[in-house]
Amino acid sequence: MLIAALLIAVSVGSERLAFFDLSDTQRSILFDIRLPRVLLGACVGASLAAAGASLQALLRNPLAEPYLLGVSNGAALGTMLAFVFFEQFFFARPLFALAGAGLATFTVYQMARSRAGMNVERLVLSGVIVTTFLSSIIVLFTSLLDAARLRGFTFWLLGDLSQATMSGFYLTLAASVLGTIVLRSQARPLNLMMIGERDAMDFGVEVGRVRLIVFGIASLLVGTSVAASGSVGYVGLIVPHLVRLSVGSDNRLVVPLSAIAGAIFVVLADTVARTVIAPRELPVGAITALIGAPLFIYLLRRN
Amino acid sequence: MKKSSYKLGILISLAVSAAIGCGRVDVPPPHVDTRQVLDDLGRNVEVPVKIERAISLAPSLTEMIFAVGAGDRLVGVTTYCDYPAETVAIEKVGDTQTPNIEKIIALKPQIVFVSTASQLEAFTKTLGEQGIAVYVTNPKTLDDVFRNLNQFGELFGQRESAQNFVFSLSARASFVRHQTNHDRSRLNDPIAKPRVFVQISREPLFTIGRESFLTEIVESAGGFSTTKNIATAYPKISKETALALAPDVIFLSDSEDNREPSEVFKNSPAVKNGRVYRINADIISRPGPRLVDALEEIAKDLRSTN
Repeated sequence: MLIAALLIAVSVGSERLAFFDLSDTQRSILFDIRLPRVLLGACVGASLAAAGASLQALLRNPLAEPYLLGVSNGAALGTMLAFVFFEQFFFARPLFALAGAGLATFTVYQMARSRAGMNVERLVLSGVIVTTFLSSIIVLFTSLLDAARLRGFTFWLLGDLSQATMSGFYLTLAASVLGTIVLRSQARPLNLMMIGERDAMDFGVEVGRVRLIVFGIASLLVGTSVAASGSVGYVGLIVPHLVRLSVGSDNRLVVPLSAIAGAIFVVLADTVARTVIAPRELPVGAITALIGAPLFIYLLRRN
Repeated sequence: MKKSSYKLGILISLAVSAAIGCGRVDVPPPHVDTRQVLDDLGRNVEVPVKIERAISLAPSLTEMIFAVGAGDRLVGVTTYCDYPAETVAIEKVGDTQTPNIEKIIALKPQIVFVSTASQLEAFTKTLGEQGIAVYVTNPKTLDDVFRNLNQFGELFGQRESAQNFVFSLSARASFVRHQTNHDRSRLNDPIAKPRVFVQISREPLFTIGRESFLTEIVESAGGFSTTKNIATAYPKISKETALALAPDVIFLSDSEDNREPSEVFKNSPAVKNGRVYRINADIISRPGPRLVDALEEIAKDLRSTN
């Protein structure tokens, strides 16, 4: 299915290509522009969905999503700082994004923790607070930047894949593959922790270590994808939900399948974003939210 | 008890914000003779016969008001207004998108000039209640700019100087148009128009579309705007489409992060032949008197190495 989605995405775009008789220009369009963008979309989708799936298992909360937990906004703020102060370094963006995502995750987690242990309402509330706080800092920054740069940022904040490059793609690819593999390796302890952290400890699970790995890897995945494409919302929420509806809640299946389904979702959403008002473009984040929000409400009501 | 203290809190905060928020506005303004004029949106605006205090909410309007010789009547401009140099000394009332309405009212203007129709209704109503007229301009072409200049001359009692100024501007513009027509008839080849791409922003890639006055400027200067059929004024264009356009000439709206053409143009005739030109972003982004400078510069660049 992923391959089918990739093929569809590569075969349509704002320019029609004659695939069996490519001119130089068409070759350039296909290999320099369309392909990197489609592949980057797949990696971003896989990263966000895998991060979402494992955060949901770890926090035993179906609402745990990078976007809602403030992780995306942390990464966005980090990227923005890198852009403003260290524009010339290629690695500044992903590094700052990773740091921002990690810090936001850590803050939310600390706020949500109480003597009684992790509380679900507290967690979501902390996520919302950190998200809005970070948003206001981002708004502050965009107000201080001059108008020409602002236009770029407002697009980017909504999730925009048009800035795809091959180098950005390789980095995101490495992160998404490695991240998903590591998260998959934690699937068994995560399964036990979904029953209860105390029970998991009785089974010999090192809860603290699992938590650290999942938070760290989720920050890595969200950080690299936000640095490459801004905050694409709802992927980490809606995709693991759909996967769990079809295969149950065993994380050994949910994590890798979410990654694949997330890739398909973002690739298809970006295909719509690229073509629906061609030759103009929409940010992909607008499409994922447009599909994701109603779908989520539907799923909530059905359960 | 809890409820009443809550109400009290609201009352206090209302009183405090009212005390901070408004100056005294209940004194009726002294009588001034007014007349009715039509603005660009076709609204009937009641303006003083003699305008002494005006505020401009766009750099293009500020430039036009100075151009007709009424710059000394401006008591407020935006933070973007930086031309001519005299604007430095004028009070700033915020930027074009978010003007500070309290500051505007405090400066006691008789009229406020606006160039976009955004958020206009609430804005006009608030100012109207303070006895301040709002005049909206909506220039879409160079001729609209000339018409606005004449209107401003009329409004500020500077009809003659405005007419003279517009006369010299339109003479320069028609000279450019004449020259490009002449070139074309000499070449006897209507397809010889260079294909132009105007890059407003590099990343993401923004250009000019159907509704931008720059499309008309490029065409008047003898170019063929490759993006003239795309809807809206400043569309974000697909990189695939941009690559396929293969422009002969690229113009960059000169700003810090728009100094180079986008990566997608690396094999375009424009980049291969070194026909990439930077143009001062202010003169091509403001539909004001300096648009004629932009027209001349674009025409000159298009004629070079032809």
